[in-house]
This record gives sequence, structure tokens and C-alpha cells, in this order.
Amino acid sequence: MNKNRLLYVSALIFVGTLGLAWLTQGTGVIRNDAERNISIPSPLTVPLEVKAAYNGSDIFLRYRWAAPKPGIFHDVLRFTNGAWVVRGSAVPGSQSDGLHEDRVSMMLDDGSVPEFGRYGGYVTIGQRLAGMTGEASGRDVKEHPYLGKKLGLDEPTKYLPATRKGLEDWMAVVPEAEQDRLRAAGYFIDLWHWRAHRSNPVGYADDQFVAAGRLSDSGRGPFATNWDAERKQPRLMLDRAKTGRAALKWDDILQGRVGQDDVYYLREDQAVPFDPNAGWQEGDTIPRRSLRAPQGSRGDVGVAGHSRWAEGYWDVALRRKMNTEKPTEDKILRDGGVYQVAFAIHRQASGGRWHYVSLPFTLGLGRDAEIKALRFEGDTPDWRQPAVAVTLFYPGQVNWPLLNSAKHAGAESIRKGVPVKYRHSEAQLAHYGVEKEFAEEIHRQWLFTLGGGVLLIVAFGVALNGALGRKGG
Amino acid sequence: MAAYHVVLVHFPIALWMTATLAILWRAISDGPLALAIDRALVPLLSLGLISGLAAYGVGLLVWPWETLSATPLGRNHMLLATWTTAYWGLLLATRWLQGEAVWNGVMRWIIAGLAVLGSVLLGITGTLGGHLVGIYTEISDALRPMGWEVYRTFYVPDVTLATIVAAAVVLVVIGLLGRRRTA
Repeated sequence: MNKNRLLYVSALIFVGTLGLAWLTQGTGVIRNDAERNISIPSPLTVPLEVKAAYNGSDIFLRYRWAAPKPGIFHDVLRFTNGAWVVRGSAVPGSQSDGLHEDRVSMMLDDGSVPEFGRYGGYVTIGQRLAGMTGEASGRDVKEHPYLGKKLGLDEPTKYLPATRKGLEDWMAVVPEAEQDRLRAAGYFIDLWHWRAHRSNPVGYADDQFVAAGRLSDSGRGPFATNWDAERKQPRLMLDRAKTGRAALKWDDILQGRVGQDDVYYLREDQAVPFDPNAGWQEGDTIPRRSLRAPQGSRGDVGVAGHSRWAEGYWDVALRRKMNTEKPTEDKILRDGGVYQVAFAIHRQASGGRWHYVSLPFTLGLGRDAEIKALRFEGDTPDWRQPAVAVTLFYPGQVNWPLLNSAKHAGAESIRKGVPVKYRHSEAQLAHYGVEKEFAEEIHRQWLFTLGGGVLLIVAFGVALNGALGRKGG
Repeated sequence: MAAYHVVLVHFPIALWMTATLAILWRAISDGPLALAIDRALVPLLSLGLISGLAAYGVGLLVWPWETLSATPLGRNHMLLATWTTAYWGLLLATRWLQGEAVWNGVMRWIIAGLAVLGSVLLGITGTLGGHLVGIYTEISDALRPMGWEVYRTFYVPDVTLATIVAAAVVLVVIGLLGRRRTA
């Protein structure tokens, strides 16, 4: 083979291999893995529109986001081979039968949790929370003297950093007296939690907050579990006299024949005690959650008008008294105040941590802010102001201890109080979230790629110089 | 060390970009100016490599390895910096070993192509470094439609790694065949 031919072949192999590397880069590692609780949504970012208004006594928030289908069902009890079987339990990512409700939630703070205004929901994410790879067991939480036995938690949930003795151990809570002192000082984040199945049919959102865990306001929640564990059957069924049926049909649910205007839920005022002798047939289906009007502080957040899905979008409006008179459960809002908010949605039958979240925004009541709540007179806002565009992103399993560790180049910036928005976009954070779910695999593959590239360059040098010979041969 | 790294990287960038212009000029011209420029090429590439290695070494001190190797942008910056340094080292070695023979026949166009590729690698490396300190150009926006999202780690799957190793073996064999031919 002559010199020129050797040079041509060498250059072709070198450039061709580089081209192959370019075309295949980023593949071969990232894949869904249910055993590790990994399910990557697509797309990684989605838009949300937000409007806000207030009238001096109530605050109104309106949210609009794209959802291919209205996720109005949650888990159900299906009559299967003579027994009632739960379908629609939470899974990593989308539930295959489409049985997990859509949701929108909003965290709200008044500056009492300064890190929240800079880093949003990241500050509430500890290690080994529910749904993460290597999640802590619910039994450990239930048996925990404070989290389980005192607060009633049954899984590792969001919490605020100062409620723990250190960042690394979610179980090491500070003493109860200190927890109370923090709460009294406003060290908690208000959480409005609208659920398409478990709260919307009764006209409410769930009113919760995050402190030592994700907790519910005092009072009664809008839903309960419709299950009689002793008899292994539902507690309630639909009242045939009021709804025209005792149960739904499984096939109707799966094929979308039960819509928003139908009875797709089990409201206690439309239900009767379960009758095991009602002639149940294969495929009869009863919602696993029974609904009722919430009571007490937990019912502070109501639906404003109709919150509905239409033409590919949810349009949800919520209202709450600016002063609920529960300053250790709700953030009290005042005319002229500026607050911090962050949003999240669940869609496409995804629950748990498989949601989209936002970075923190400021909310001003008649004050300049990223989201400006307009003052109006009367009981209902006209919503004529333009919406604020919010980009939501998939956060992966990125957590606060990680962000403050040596594995995060920005840990020093966090210590200096540099806001996340200053250095990162939502798209970048989404990619970061995905990569962190495969941290070890990607690290290994990256090292091999780095070495492989050097090997190829050196080999190309050998080929070039060999083909040319000494001083060009 | 970040500030020192930023200062130091200006030297290899300047020297390698100058070297690229020199190589391109020499590739298209056999005139006296091109010949004069070519005589400065080995010193230019040598200084580029020395300053590049110095900047690389100081860059490794900016963050602990645990931090640098855990960050997608840090990984990408390091990967591109390694390849860029190795690549310009290849150009230096070839020009040094082959002398003016690198401008004979098709080889001059291969050298010119390599110089352009080296400049592209250098530009991407610089952009990634800019991302790490929060000041960056729009080069990353140009890479995105070409298939690489710079916020994701650049890595290849096992099958590509195997192909790279196989290609390296073939290239070494070609080199040995060439040496035997000219021995």
C-alpha cells in the first residue's frame, strides 16, 4: 500500500470513529429501571401559566398547563375473580392503566425560610425520600418516635433542613421543643395541593405544609381510604338512587368513557355502605378514595369556580383567605406584601416524585414581583391580566444534602447565598436531575470515553508518522 | 485557583489559534512568508503545549476531583481539555518528526484539517470553561442542534468504546506497516 493510500485510510478511520462517537454519545446508559425507581418523563420541561389576584380578604391563584388527557382517576378497587383488588397504586413514572390523578401544587413562604426563596423546593428534599433509589422504608418512619408516632407520617417525605440535626440523616430530628419553636417563628412552607380526583370533586384543594415532614393542616382532609381491611372489601359504594349505579365499569374507565361530567368519584353524600351481596360482576370498579368536604384549616383552600380540563389543558383556579388565622399552618398574606412561591404539577398518571417543578418566584400583592397579584373589587377576579409563563422541569433525585456536598460545584455558591436562577436554567437542571439518577454509570462511561479519545489520537499520530516514515520517507 | 486557570488558558488559546493560522497559510502557500511562518511552527506548538499542560494542571486544582468529576459541565470541560491537549500534542509531534515533509502532497491538507479540528476542540473547551464560571458564548447553542446538549456529560456507549479501541489498533498497524515500507 503506498504512502498516500495509508494516509487516506488513517484519516478516514480517525474521522469516521470521531463521527461515530459524536452520533452515539449520550446513549447506552439512561434507561427506565423500575427496580431503582427510575422513570424519566418526556419532555423534561413543560410550561405552566400562572395568574394571581386578591380583593383584600381573599387571594386567588389560577394555573393552566398542558395535559394530554384529564387524569381524573386515582387508585380504585376492581372486582377480580371474586375479590376486590387495588389497581392504580403508585409506580415509578406513569401508571400503566392511567389511574393516577393530575395535580397542581404551590409552595408558599413569607421569607421565614430564606433558602426557599433562593432554591425553591430543593431545600425540602432530603436523602432517601419516598420514590428515590434506595428510599428509606415506611416502617422506619412509622416507628420513628417523632416523625411516625407523633406526626403520623408513614413514609419519608419532604422536610426543611433546620428540623434535622444535620443534612445527611433524615431521621435525626431536632427535639420537639425546637420543632415547635421553629414553627412558631414561621419556619415552615405552606403547601396548596389541588388533586383532580381526591379534592376537586368536592371543590377544594388539600391545605398542607412542610416542616419536619409534609404535613396536613389541622382538621379533616377531603378524602379517606375506602377500604375495610378486616372484611377485605370497600367501606362504601355508590348510591344507586343518587348516581344510577353502584359501581363503575373497569372497561369504561380504561377506554375514557367516564368523563368530568360523570360520577367518576365516590362522594360520601352520594354513597351508601358497601353491600357484599349486591351481585358484583367481574370488572365492577369502586374508587378507593371516598370524598367529603374538608373541615378546619385543612379546608382553607377552595376551588374558585370550575377547575376543568378542556382541549388539552387544565385550567384550575384556587382561593384562600389572605389571613386564615392559622399562622403556624398557613402563611398569612397582607396587601403590599411580597412572598415566595414555587409550583409543581403531576400529569400523565404519574405520582410521587415523578412530577415537574418550578424554580422559586416572587409573588407581590399589589407590589412589583415576578408574579404580580392584581387587586380587584368584588368576589371574583376577571382574570384579564396576562399570565406569567413558568417553566417546569423534571428534578430527578437531586437533593439538598447533595447540593451542599463536594459533589456539587455550586455548593460554595449556596453557602454564599447565590440564587439558583443566577447560575442555572430549568433545562440545565432537568438534565442534571436525569444524570444524577445514573451518576456512577455515567462517571465510569465518561472516564472510558476520555481515555478512548486519547488512545485514538495517539494511535492516529502513530499511523500518520508511520505512513510518512522518517522525515517524510 | 480558578482565577489563575483563567489567566493561564489565554496562553495556549492564543498560541494554538496562531498556530492554526500559520498552518492554514502554509497549506495554501509555498511562498517565502509561508515558509518563514512554518519555521516558527514547532516553537509555537511547543509553547502552546507547555502552556496548555500548565493550564490543564492548574485547572485540576480549581475543584477537588470529587467535585470536578461529578459535574456534567466539569466532566465535559475536562474531557475536551484532555483531547485538545493530546490533539495539539499530536500536531507538534508530527511536525517535529516529519519536518517540512508534512507539506508534501495530500499530507498538507490533512494537517490543515487537523488544525481546523483542533481549533474547534479548543473553542468548545473554552466555552465549557466559560459555563463553569458563568460567562459563556453561544457556541453551546450551536452544538445543541448538532446533537450535543452541553449540560449532559459527553460519553459513548460500550459498543463505541470497543470501536474506538479497534480503530486505534488498526491505526497502529497502519503506522507499523508504513514504517516497514519506508525502512
